[in-house]
Amino acid sequence: MTASETWCLRPGQTLQYRHWDDEYVLYNDLSGDTHLLGDAAIELLRVLKAGPASRQALAAVLEAQFDIDPLELDQETGELLRHLQHLYFIEPVPDNRADVPAC
Amino acid sequence: MLTVASLTRAQLAARLGGAGLLVQTGAFVSRIQSPIHSVADGIALLYGDYPLHGADGFADFHVGLRPSGGMRRWYRPQVSFDLDGQQPFEPLPQAHAFPMLEWGLNWCISTRAHAWLMIHAAVVERDGLAAILPAPPGSGKSTLCAALVHRGWRLLSDELALLRPEDGLLVPVPRPVSLKNRSIEVIRGFVADAVLSQPVSNTTKGTVAHLKAPADSVARAHETARPAWIVFPKYEAGAATSLTPIPRARAFFRVADNAFNYSHMGARGFNALAGTIERCASYDFRYSDLDEAMALFAALERPRT
Repeated sequence: MTASETWCLRPGQTLQYRHWDDEYVLYNDLSGDTHLLGDAAIELLRVLKAGPASRQALAAVLEAQFDIDPLELDQETGELLRHLQHLYFIEPVPDNRADVPAC
Repeated sequence: MLTVASLTRAQLAARLGGAGLLVQTGAFVSRIQSPIHSVADGIALLYGDYPLHGADGFADFHVGLRPSGGMRRWYRPQVSFDLDGQQPFEPLPQAHAFPMLEWGLNWCISTRAHAWLMIHAAVVERDGLAAILPAPPGSGKSTLCAALVHRGWRLLSDELALLRPEDGLLVPVPRPVSLKNRSIEVIRGFVADAVLSQPVSNTTKGTVAHLKAPADSVARAHETARPAWIVFPKYEAGAATSLTPIPRARAFFRVADNAFNYSHMGARGFNALAGTIERCASYDFRYSDLDEAMALFAALERPRT
C-alpha cells in the first residue's frame, strides 16, 4: 500500500447499518453477512460512499475525527483498509482508473 | 368455522386414514394422513379447538405418518414422516409418532415459510405487546412459555417467532407446547387444569409430552402482535431471578443466531431484525422459580421507543 493509492466502495454495497450505543451493525450486500464494526471503519466507508478517495485523504479523515497517535496513523489506516477490503466492502482503484468519479 | 372437536373419534380416524385431516394452525393449513392410533389420540386431545377444513380445501403442507415397511414392522414397528411423498427423516419407533408429527410440522414451517423472518423462539403476548423468548433447547424456554400462557399471556408460539418484514409484527402459529423431562411434572404442578399428551420416553430429546394450547390463543390465531421485549431465558437450578439488559448490537447477533432464515432473507432480514431490535428492550433472564418469573414478566415495562 502506498499513500497515493486510491480506494473506492465496491459496486453493489449500499451500506445499510444501524448505530446503537458505540457499535455499528452493518449489512454486507455482496456476501450477505452482517458485521459488527467500530466508528473509524464506518467513517471510512461513509467517505468512500461519496466517491473514491486516496489513502492519504482517508488517513486525514481519521486523524481529524479520532484520537489516533500520529505515529500510528499510517498503520491504523492501512489495517482498517485491509480489513474492509477483506470483507469485500472496498477495493483499490487501478492506477489507470484513478481519475474516475466512482468505481 | 367447524373445529376438529366437531368430529367424532371415528370421523377423525376416518379422515386421518383416508384423504387427510385438514387442520389450520395460525397461518398454515396442514393435511395430515395417518392410520396410527397414537396420532389420532394426540390430535383428538390437543387439536380440538383448531379450525377444520374440508378434504378438498387448500393445504400448505401435505404430511403423512405411516408405519414403516420391511421385516422390522413385525418386531419393532417404526413410523416414517413424509412431506409431499418425500421422507426427510429416518424412521422412529412407532411410539414416537405424535411427537414426530409435532417436530415434522415445525420443520415444514422452518424450512419453507420464508415470507417471514423465522426465529427459534417462543412468543407470548399481553395487552398487544409481545415478548420473544429465543433460546436453544434446554434453556427452559418452553417451561417458561407454558407457565406464562396460563398466567394471562397469549400463546403465539412455543417454537417459532414469525416476524413479518413489511410491518414488524409477529404472526401467531399457536400449537401445543413441547415439554421435556422434568418440565412435564413442573407444569403439571404449576397448571392445575393442564391438558398434556401421554409422555413418550426415550426420544432423541428424552421424555416428551405436549401441552394443549389455551383455547383463547387458538381462537385469536389471526391477531398479530407488536414485539416489545426480547428475553433470552435460562433456567438454572437455585438461581436467583434476574433480568439483565443486553446492548442492542449484541442482542441483534444473538437473535440472528437463533433465526432459521436470517441469511436467506438478505437485506430484508437485516432490516426486519434491526427494526425489531430498535423497538424492543432486550434482556438475559435467569430463573429457577416460576412464580418469581411470572411476577417479573407481569412487571415488564413498556420499552420507550
